[in-house]
Amino acid sequence: MTSKVNVIGVGMVPFAKPGKSEEYNVMAAKAARTALGDAGVEYREVQQAYAGYVFGDSTCGQRAIYEVGLTGIPVFNVNNNCSTGSSALMLGAQAIAGGAAECVLVVGFEQMEKGALAAKWTDRTNPMDKHANLMNELQGFNQAPPAAQMFGGAGREYRWKYGTKRETFAKISAKARQHASKNPYALFKEVLSVEEIMASEEVFDPLTRYQCCPPTCGAAAAVLASDDFVRKHGISRPVYIAAQAMTTDYGTTFEEKSMIKMIGYDMAKAAAKQVYEKAGIGPENVDVVELHDCFTANELLTYEALGLCKEGEAEKFIWDGDNTYGGKFVTNPSGGLLSKGHPLGATGLAQCTELVWHLRGTAEARQVEGAKVALQHNLGLGGACVVTMYRRD
Amino acid sequence: MSKELRFDGKVAIITGAGGGLGRSHALLLASRGAQVVVNDLGGSFSGEGKSSSAADKVVDEIKAAGGTAVANYDSVEDGDKIVKTAIDAFGRLDIVVNNAGILRDVSFQKMTQQDWDLIYKVHVLGAFRVTYAAWPYLRDQGYGRIVMTSSAAGIYGNFGQANYSMAKLGLVGFAQTLAIEGRKKNVLVNTIAPIAGSRMTETVLPQNLIDALKPEFVSPLVARLCHESSEETGSLFEVGGGFIGKLRWERTEGKTFRLGRGFSVEDVDAAWGQITDFKKSTHPDSVAGSMQPIMQNLEAGPSKGGNQFIDVDQALGYRFEDLHSSYDERDLALYALGVGAAKKPDDERDLQLVYELHGKGMKALPTYAVIPAVNAVLTMGKEGKQAPGLHYGLDRVLHGEQYTELKRPLPLHAKLTHRSTIKDIFDKGKNALVVTEIVSYDETGNELMRNEITTFVRGAGGWGGDRGPAQDVNVPPDRAPDKVVEEKIPENQALLYRLSGDWNPLHADPGMAKAFGFDKPILHGLCTFGYAGRQIVQAFAPDANPDFFKSIRVRFASTVLPGDTLVTEMWKESDQKIVFRCKVKERDQVCISNAAVEFYKEVPKAPAKAKPAAAAAGGGAAREPNSGDIFRAIGGFVAKNPDTVEKAKTVFQFKLSGPDSVWTVNLKDGAGSVSEGAGAAPQCTLEMSDADFMAMATGKADAMKLFGTGKLKISGDVMASQKLGFLKKLTPEMVLAETDKRLGAGGGAPAAAGGGAAEMTPTAWDVFIAMRDHVERNADLVGKVNTVFLFKIKNPDADWTLDLKNGKGAVSEGVVGTPECTLEIAEADFLDMTTGKSDPMKLFTTGKLKISGNVMASQKLSFLQKIDPEAAKAAVIKARAAGAGPKAAAASSGGAEAKAPAVFAALDKRLADKPALKDELRAVVVFKTTGPDAAWTVDCAGAAPSVKAGAAADPVATLTLTDADLGDLAAGKTGARELFQFGKLRIDGDVTVAHRLGLLKGLI
Repeated sequence: MTSKVNVIGVGMVPFAKPGKSEEYNVMAAKAARTALGDAGVEYREVQQAYAGYVFGDSTCGQRAIYEVGLTGIPVFNVNNNCSTGSSALMLGAQAIAGGAAECVLVVGFEQMEKGALAAKWTDRTNPMDKHANLMNELQGFNQAPPAAQMFGGAGREYRWKYGTKRETFAKISAKARQHASKNPYALFKEVLSVEEIMASEEVFDPLTRYQCCPPTCGAAAAVLASDDFVRKHGISRPVYIAAQAMTTDYGTTFEEKSMIKMIGYDMAKAAAKQVYEKAGIGPENVDVVELHDCFTANELLTYEALGLCKEGEAEKFIWDGDNTYGGKFVTNPSGGLLSKGHPLGATGLAQCTELVWHLRGTAEARQVEGAKVALQHNLGLGGACVVTMYRRD
Repeated sequence: MSKELRFDGKVAIITGAGGGLGRSHALLLASRGAQVVVNDLGGSFSGEGKSSSAADKVVDEIKAAGGTAVANYDSVEDGDKIVKTAIDAFGRLDIVVNNAGILRDVSFQKMTQQDWDLIYKVHVLGAFRVTYAAWPYLRDQGYGRIVMTSSAAGIYGNFGQANYSMAKLGLVGFAQTLAIEGRKKNVLVNTIAPIAGSRMTETVLPQNLIDALKPEFVSPLVARLCHESSEETGSLFEVGGGFIGKLRWERTEGKTFRLGRGFSVEDVDAAWGQITDFKKSTHPDSVAGSMQPIMQNLEAGPSKGGNQFIDVDQALGYRFEDLHSSYDERDLALYALGVGAAKKPDDERDLQLVYELHGKGMKALPTYAVIPAVNAVLTMGKEGKQAPGLHYGLDRVLHGEQYTELKRPLPLHAKLTHRSTIKDIFDKGKNALVVTEIVSYDETGNELMRNEITTFVRGAGGWGGDRGPAQDVNVPPDRAPDKVVEEKIPENQALLYRLSGDWNPLHADPGMAKAFGFDKPILHGLCTFGYAGRQIVQAFAPDANPDFFKSIRVRFASTVLPGDTLVTEMWKESDQKIVFRCKVKERDQVCISNAAVEFYKEVPKAPAKAKPAAAAAGGGAAREPNSGDIFRAIGGFVAKNPDTVEKAKTVFQFKLSGPDSVWTVNLKDGAGSVSEGAGAAPQCTLEMSDADFMAMATGKADAMKLFGTGKLKISGDVMASQKLGFLKKLTPEMVLAETDKRLGAGGGAPAAAGGGAAEMTPTAWDVFIAMRDHVERNADLVGKVNTVFLFKIKNPDADWTLDLKNGKGAVSEGVVGTPECTLEIAEADFLDMTTGKSDPMKLFTTGKLKISGNVMASQKLSFLQKIDPEAAKAAVIKARAAGAGPKAAAASSGGAEAKAPAVFAALDKRLADKPALKDELRAVVVFKTTGPDAAWTVDCAGAAPSVKAGAAADPVATLTLTDADLGDLAAGKTGARELFQFGKLRIDGDVTVAHRLGLLKGLI
């Protein structure tokens, strides 16, 4: 009885630095209205709404969506760390697939503070304590931003294993800047060379300042609909979700005493495998990828987790240019989290927006020519990983 | 008077309630408000016939007394019908008393299959059917009480009741598992083994006894077990004739054969006493409890083997009781003469070894360091003290090898404490080697010297164990010796040497020597050792100064006789190492082989008296931890590791004897606590001697072994003792810190404060006073930081708690409350950090700042940099003026010397010796060390490997690390991978080069 899930409308606001953005409800409402307009659907036709955000009191989702309309529909607030946006998207997709709704609105937004991510609730067990303790055991714990220590540590482990050069990580960031320079929605549009990236302040070896995604404010939205709804509204050839999967941590995250495993490598690998199997389409047929490059080290590891290259071959993959225009795949044409920015709740929907544009052929200067299959990877420590494959027939 | 236990609203089924026990249970429960289903088939006690009259009569009785009851006449084999009666009549069910039973007594030889089956059907199948039908109701409502009726015949056996015994003990097992499965749903299941006069027992018991065994004496226990207030479950009771008691299993201590070693029928036979002896028993009450000895055996790991002479499991790691001795100038002089010193009294160097009033000072001959240790071992031997598991006589042993190391020059007199351990046991095939390590400490508790006595045990090997290092050490190089010294040993030398302590008549008595197959009394091997040591010091120590001596290692190869001429051949391997060999000239026979003497580069300095206050107050109290220190260290550990409490959830009590003390380790309440005396009610009590406790807590003795040998008694919740594994995590440093605190406490007068600000040298104490002032001024810190920090300041040691969580926040000395994040740092580093002279991150990455507990919280300490210096100064002046102040500071340790030159010199030599080693690295690698800064290039790419100072232009990889870390890497104390992952090793270029650094290992 599962219905196909069509993505009939997307929209986002240009991302901004903390303190320079509008308030969350304003940004979210703009993104939602853009997505509804893109779909050609009135808000009153929306039967359910899912709102993703991490920082803010309860029911910020309602507050944001109320700016668009007050029709009494169910509104769910979703919080799943950096994969919040995709988690909301997945819930919306499930509502369509399961027949619970014909049309849902998914909106993700974040109004972040300056500085690195830190715990907000210090009077109770930190949800990442197991991760932090494992890290402390494996490589100590210092004053660097904790997330940079975790992903940077995974980078160290990878370097140790495969002898990867420090420059290889910087190269990823250079590519991200190159892509972002063509994206009006991105936060950092200035092109940087590998040397400039290497020369920026060291955050946690091998990561330098320009290899860490910035705290960002922004919002993005998508409108999902069933086949029936699409037919009734005469929408032709919409982008649809070919397969989607979410995973959380496996025992290997903690048992293998590996930083690479700790930051969710197996979650990503398993989610990708499920998606490829469900869709019956392997990585070789993917044209464009938006993946979770919170730090360059994670983009490198994710190439392997998603099967874009073999394990241990990411360095070659990068220097061969297989991650950009003219190579095997284009990864993060939007500039990714590194350059477009990473408003936690919005990221998953911004990735979705970018990929829908590519499949429709409307990504302008960034367009991946003839993109038919798109892959999205959104990861949150703590943890959750959502992988989604989009197609347009 | 306690409240009446009522059963209002509860519905009970009593099977076999037409008479006897069942009737009595029914009447009692009904009289207290229960609605009762009185079940009785109405047959005879042997299970024949059927009538409704018995059940009806009891129902009438209950109703007449104003109670509620219905009758049921079904067989218990139709248990569902009985349950249906309860549900139909009362709409619910709460209590099931499986009481129905019959007897078919007959001796086993005459028993028929029918006798067996019928008993099974009524007792076991019947109880099953009734309970099975009732179970869903009880589970679903989350409430139920079930009683099974067993019997002494089942528990102990009874003539003529084989069938009945089977059934009755079957019910006990049935009930035990139901108790486990029902516990979560509040369905409690117990078993009674009653004796009462009834239709059933009339046949087997005399009338006068039956009169005393009224059913009414059993029913109160049943009612008690069925009451809603009862928490009892899975228990078995004997009841009757006015007596009620609970039964449990008891297990002997038993015999555990270590895994991996096999055992025979004879071994079981030999252990029979242990297997059957209840003197040290336990009471397992679960499958887990039953498994405990097996789990313990698993945890102890596979046996290391042994035979009738040596049991490696028992002996290896055994620590002997500490021994004490002292020596003075006379002992040194006598020893020096004993090893042939001072033959030329006009030579200043010679005279200094024996003359205590020498103008340039007396000097101890360093090999004297072996004497106190060997004497300690001889003393133990004389007293018959041997490590457990070593079962060979002196007739089998030879002193095979000797290693003696000095930490610094021997003082001219000292009081020593010797700590002896069985360090290694090697199986050399036919023979065995046992290595005893003796570490000797001086009055201040600092290690002065270390001896390793390797005993060769003839014919004691062959258990297939660890063969030990195979390679010969200190093999003389293939060239002429750099120096040869010849020295004739006087005929009376052994007589002189023995005065230093080895009184063995073999060295003095011609008759005894003959009996051992020697022509005459032989020279002590250690006398030859002393000769050689003295000669090498004279030949190679800088300025012939014995103070440079570090160590000597020898293998005793053959006997030397007084009158022989000793030829010592010496090869200078480096300034620090002389390899040597001794021969007897007359027989051209090697008597000492594989030998070397090491020198220090600089004369090591005596450590500053760690705690002058303690030394003064205690008259030389050694820095010797006591059990109290360990408990305080446990307290500190628990405070730092709150998960200990979470995991253990138990209150432990330690009862120590000789000296006696009681300590409570509460790992259950709050954040846990450790206190002297009997505190909260203990769940698990451990009794042992103070000495055994010390050995256990410091990892020198195994808890399992102590338990096994009866030296540790555990009572209460024995399983809980397994939760004490965390004790293994206590480090000697943690304990010694407590020792220092204790010893320091006596003389802890604060430094005078009169001088005022001008003369003030800031200390950690001042910083904390300033911090307190800052916290008082900035109330919002508590909300922002919301964490309790513990600073463990070292050298001098002090604990400070920075509470930015509770109330208005507080800064207090000592461990207060429950610290969530602990920072360990030396005072000097702490001062540098808080005055901005050094970066906390750098301190952390170089291992000078250790963070434990909630490591994430350490990031919130940045406010420390915001403390206003003027306000801080004012606060400190005020506090000092008030008479407070820091405790006297102890001297800090001196700076270390750079490791890199030694490492690379050794690497150069290693590569020169074995050029093939370069093939492992196969690359040009630059090492950059910091603190002190230096660069070295190791070129293993070309045909001839080289090691050069300075950085090559185009290396495959550049490795950057601190000098200290390089030292650790070369010493094998850490690995490159670990250093890299911790960020202590930076690698530019090809990282995989660092996989191939094996050639650095063991360089220093």
